[in-house]
Amino acid sequence: MNLIRESLDRIQATEELKQNTLHYLDERQKKKRRARVHYAPAYVLAAAGLLFLISLGGHSVYRRPVSYISIDVNPSIELGVNRFGRVVSAEAYNEDGSGVLEQVPLKNISYMQAVNRLLNDDKYNRYLEKDGVLVFTVISERPEDILKELSASEMAEKYEALTYTSDLSCREEAHQHEMSFGKYRTYLELRGYDEGVTIEDCHGMTMGELRDRIDACTHNGQTGGGTQHGGTHGNHHAHGD
Amino acid sequence: MKSAEEINFAMEAYADMVRRICFVHLKNRDDTEDVFQNVYMKYMLHEGSFESREHEKAWFARVTINACKDLLRYFSRRKWVPLDVIAEEKEALNDTTEEVLEVVLKLPEKYRNVIYLYYYEGYSAAEIAGILGRKENTVYTWLARAKTLLREKLGGEWE
Repeated sequence: MNLIRESLDRIQATEELKQNTLHYLDERQKKKRRARVHYAPAYVLAAAGLLFLISLGGHSVYRRPVSYISIDVNPSIELGVNRFGRVVSAEAYNEDGSGVLEQVPLKNISYMQAVNRLLNDDKYNRYLEKDGVLVFTVISERPEDILKELSASEMAEKYEALTYTSDLSCREEAHQHEMSFGKYRTYLELRGYDEGVTIEDCHGMTMGELRDRIDACTHNGQTGGGTQHGGTHGNHHAHGD
Repeated sequence: MKSAEEINFAMEAYADMVRRICFVHLKNRDDTEDVFQNVYMKYMLHEGSFESREHEKAWFARVTINACKDLLRYFSRRKWVPLDVIAEEKEALNDTTEEVLEVVLKLPEKYRNVIYLYYYEGYSAAEIAGILGRKENTVYTWLARAKTLLREKLGGEWE
């Protein structure tokens, strides 16, 4: 047995760690079951409410986004999602994004259908190959629900998608710079480490290049990033659940 | 969603591997518990099926490495102190194994992954490339560099 194997062999999962994890999963399952019971009457109410809203000209409720998902590789695309989970707007924030949107219709389907349609598209796939970095950034009242679904999707796992949250003020600032809020959040993170970087530099960089710059800064032990802007404009969703 | 039976099996089969991957990446037991919960939660919610146990094991390795990376990015400002995690395992180690692990933990992250997957789990370079989503040639390069670094620090008798 080699020394590395012998040394690592001594590191084992304790019974306590296993039992704590099983207990956690059990609690999550119970919570999920309870939530299902609670939501059943809510669905009925929601359906009745929807009919009522439609009768009052509720079309505007359908069209109004309540959450946003920024999907960035090099193409930067923002989806607006209404309270029924349907994509009601799809905007491109760079040339590559416009090219993709011309070919891939993303509106009036659920956001997960839209994301899967995008990630399965051949043209879009070309951006993900060759070390492309896929980043989802979410603005929502309950971003964890959307992030959980995005992280659990097979395509997101395949491409090791990174997930973050952000907020509306960050989105507003991003749009002033004609940038998606997902890419802008990453720019702010990089600027936390490297004050010399400008928004113009970032316009011409892919998410992979931005991530490499951040990694280079963190490996060099530079301080900054994370809290300076991350606290205000979003934070990394570390758990993916 | 996976059944309790499947989860229990996966806990017995892969918990040690998940723990070791956490050990070579993370800073303390709290982070390890966080990643454990995250990985097994993903498994519980995983809708797809696995072609074989090997496929399932490789899935666990990949998801654990990614969960560790996520956590490290989240806490990127925290200082990485390998001696802390070794101190937590002190009782299980002797002088030699402690020295070996200290050297392994001081390697750059990508080398730690390949060293663990190659020397401990016995994966081939092609299989490691699949798990890490990298080219096989890249894995060979990392392995060669990691071996050189280990040889410099530990001499020629570790392999």
